[in-house]
Amino acid sequence: MAYVSMGEAHRRITEYLNRFCDAVSYQDSSTLCRLLSFSSNSPPLLSLADALNVFQDASSLIRQSDKFSEYGEILAHLFRSLQSYRVGNLVEAYLAFEKFANAFVQEFRNWESAWALEALYVVCYEIRILAEKADKELTSNGKSPEKLKAAGSLLMKVFGVLAGKGPKRVGALYVTCQLFKTYFKLGTVNLCRSVIRSIETARIFDFEEFPRRDKVTYMYYTGRLEVFNENFPAADTKLSYALQYCNPKRERNIRMILKYLIPVKLSIGIIPKDELLQNYNLHEYTKIVQALRKGDLRLLRHALQEHEDRFLRSGVYLVLEKLELQVYQRLMKKIYIIQKLSDPARAHQLKLEVIAKALRWLEMDMDLDEVECIMTILIYKNLVKGYLAHKSKVVVLSKQDPFPKLNGKPVGS
Amino acid sequence: MNRRNRGSSSSTSRVSNTYGNRQTSDNPRTGSGGGASDSFRRRSDAPLKRNNDEDESNNKDEDLADVSFIVGTCSSMCPERERVTRERLRDLAVFERLYGNPSKSSTDLAVKKFCRTLSAADVQASDVRPLPVLEETLKYLLSLLDSKEHPFEAVHDFIFDRTRSIRQDLSIQNLANERVIYLYEEMVKFHVISHKRLQSCSGTSNSSMHHLNMEQLAKTLTSLYNIYDANRKPDYIYENEAEFRSLYVLLHLNPSSGVMGEPLSLWFRKLTFALVKSKEICFVRNLLRLYRMGNYKNFLSRTASEATYLQYCISEPHIREMRSVAVQYINNVCYKLQPYPLLRLSQNLMMKELDVESLCHECGLETCTDPDGFAVLPAKQSTFRNPEDKFKVYDLIGIERIER
Repeated sequence: MAYVSMGEAHRRITEYLNRFCDAVSYQDSSTLCRLLSFSSNSPPLLSLADALNVFQDASSLIRQSDKFSEYGEILAHLFRSLQSYRVGNLVEAYLAFEKFANAFVQEFRNWESAWALEALYVVCYEIRILAEKADKELTSNGKSPEKLKAAGSLLMKVFGVLAGKGPKRVGALYVTCQLFKTYFKLGTVNLCRSVIRSIETARIFDFEEFPRRDKVTYMYYTGRLEVFNENFPAADTKLSYALQYCNPKRERNIRMILKYLIPVKLSIGIIPKDELLQNYNLHEYTKIVQALRKGDLRLLRHALQEHEDRFLRSGVYLVLEKLELQVYQRLMKKIYIIQKLSDPARAHQLKLEVIAKALRWLEMDMDLDEVECIMTILIYKNLVKGYLAHKSKVVVLSKQDPFPKLNGKPVGS
Repeated sequence: MNRRNRGSSSSTSRVSNTYGNRQTSDNPRTGSGGGASDSFRRRSDAPLKRNNDEDESNNKDEDLADVSFIVGTCSSMCPERERVTRERLRDLAVFERLYGNPSKSSTDLAVKKFCRTLSAADVQASDVRPLPVLEETLKYLLSLLDSKEHPFEAVHDFIFDRTRSIRQDLSIQNLANERVIYLYEEMVKFHVISHKRLQSCSGTSNSSMHHLNMEQLAKTLTSLYNIYDANRKPDYIYENEAEFRSLYVLLHLNPSSGVMGEPLSLWFRKLTFALVKSKEICFVRNLLRLYRMGNYKNFLSRTASEATYLQYCISEPHIREMRSVAVQYINNVCYKLQPYPLLRLSQNLMMKELDVESLCHECGLETCTDPDGFAVLPAKQSTFRNPEDKFKVYDLIGIERIER
């Protein structure tokens, strides 16, 4: 921490106080944003923090002037938070910031227009980030982390403040997204339901009115929820929306959307181009795509195992596992094509023995009963058109379109 | 580490100045066993989160960071004043009556009832049973399962209610050590076995009993998982944890089954590495894959050859389902001129041939005999229907290896 003289400290604090109060008086949202954004670690904020730690009695400064004392409570908590933040005392920083946020939101309520919405966004963002840091500090000290959960409650409160008829309501989606991030981090994803219901069914909200950036984020998270619930058509719609409207320069965000969209698309039979996977560094899907193209079950299993941890953590493992049937379909098609080349008249008859042999080449040993079971499934789910002649141990393919494409629908629907 | 240490209290003396009986745990969250202080309340860092309705009323209004918990002092299975009251009101279950007398019980027979409307303020320490007493109580309750005198539904009903009360006492005292894990595991086992046994009982009240049992099974499992987590040491899983976690997967095999809890994709995220790689979880993940794919043959053969008894009990509805699915698929895809032999079908479905025939009929399909005298299922019948819910339980060939 840098050395600061008392006089200099006094000057810095007073300067900040003036800036803050002027920003509020002149409804200067962008200045206010800068003044509140702790996590930016901007030099002015850090130097203010140093000043506060030297001066120690900023409250007296606030009380001295009518201009400052009007926002006395807000500023006192804010300063305390910044001080703690500077010395790395993150739990204290969070607690004070929470008090600041509560006081700030009360003021915000009283301001008629929505001028301070951006600043409110900053407050919401900061509280979440601070809570995460505070929880890290708690766990490293062997205590149970509970600040992020508390931040979630506060964010719900803010949501409530914005969910009204006035111009402030366009801010509700931003807060919703902060809530999503919070709940996803906590793993309490089911809590998203109530706020989703509010956004989607309340009459005061018109989805199109919200800022594009927030809509994209919203669709990304709700799309992910659909993936968790294995609701693929809905997941496809939402994640595709996010992809379509996402700023193309935000490559990291596009990558995040693709990470979930690709498995969804795969499960409805749409395969991404290799360049897409390369450009966005999504090599975990490379072998899976290959397996689908080649009908190579061994490769699919291997790919799933190789990235098992990653897929489980992102929640797409079960989606990818289901691709097995499509891989089988592709394998059968290959066998059919090969047979057509050597003996076109009988190509449409797939002997179970031949299929078993092909699987043995792929190091998958199955007896004829198992092979028959797989073929039964493929036929029933319309991945293969034809019928099974059990006694003759052969699958007879339909002459027309024996391997129907999925056409954008999941298998078996 | 001796995980099944049941503590040193002798069963003869149930006097409980047993605050010190809590096993030490590294985790500060479980609280320290307060010495025999004057106050009957113990302080703890944070209450253990449980998803029961049992403790909702207890903890709702209290500041999470500063809650004190009762330490129970009731030395018998049922608090004295409750027993006396219920004797007077003739509110004694059949198992609690002394020589069948509806208004007389004893300390050996009376067991504390579950009481829904309980708020922390009303509870006295003398009404709450400490851990050693709860352990004895559970042991006694489970011994009733072998009783031949009473129909199973009555036994189940009694144990169902009284174990709920045990869980309530555990929750009020925020007990969460390894001995408690054992208690919860036994209670889950009770619900799982009831789940199976209730299916083969007749009677119209059964489906609601079955449903309620499922509900409590899910709740007890969730509490058990929370206690596993609360006592978590890095990369360590308890002796039975993998098996009990695997039961969750089996309960949620079907995403639209409506069983309480999170979707599996979400649930798997939270498993530790050690659990994901455990034999039991790998086994059920495999079953999940096979189930979702409709691979009846492998699903049934693996279940028959690898499932534990508990896993089998929970899987019974799915076994049933996979068999109906097999019949449905085969009826649909086979060549009309080549009916499917029942013997082969029975082998694939791990069933006796007569049972397969019965199943086909339950599905609305006819079977017949081919010219060589073998029983067959003709294909492409249009009368397939899913069997009704009140279903027959057919044996699973190969499951006899599990001793019970």
